[in-house]
Amino acid sequence: MGKLEGKKLLLLGERDGVAGPAMEEVLRDSGAEIVFSATECFV
Amino acid sequence: MDLENQQRVKDAAEKYGPENVVVVLGSSDAEGAEIYAETVTKGDPTFAGPLAGVPLGLAVYHIFEEEIRQEADPAKWEEQIAMMEMVLDPDALAQAVKRMREEGSKYTL
Repeated sequence: MGKLEGKKLLLLGERDGVAGPAMEEVLRDSGAEIVFSATECFV
Repeated sequence: MDLENQQRVKDAAEKYGPENVVVVLGSSDAEGAEIYAETVTKGDPTFAGPLAGVPLGLAVYHIFEEEIRQEADPAKWEEQIAMMEMVLDPDALAQAVKRMREEGSKYTL
């Protein structure tokens, strides 16, 4: 069982770093539920 | 962190229980990562948003930290994240979030 199994993930991405959808993709099969994913940008 | 996302974090912690929630950051600079990590552990340092004075103490990690990386799909990591890992400074980002987690998180993985 992975460390994230059963956890609720809040993904706070950044446009100039790693964006929310990219984090969703890599963690989708981690056993955790992705509650929300956002991508902020600083302009 | 923008006010809408602070509210979403607060709502999720209330709904699911703070011990069950893990925040993963994708910040590009260490200073920003530290502020985000502080916001979800000790509360909003700018005292502007819903998490001002609300020390949730959530488990918080940067996507580049080993604990998260080892749970990620390796093929998708190559496809989605490996390039940003070369451009950014993963060690500095991981250290910044780890430091704040050690100071402010009540929960860890």
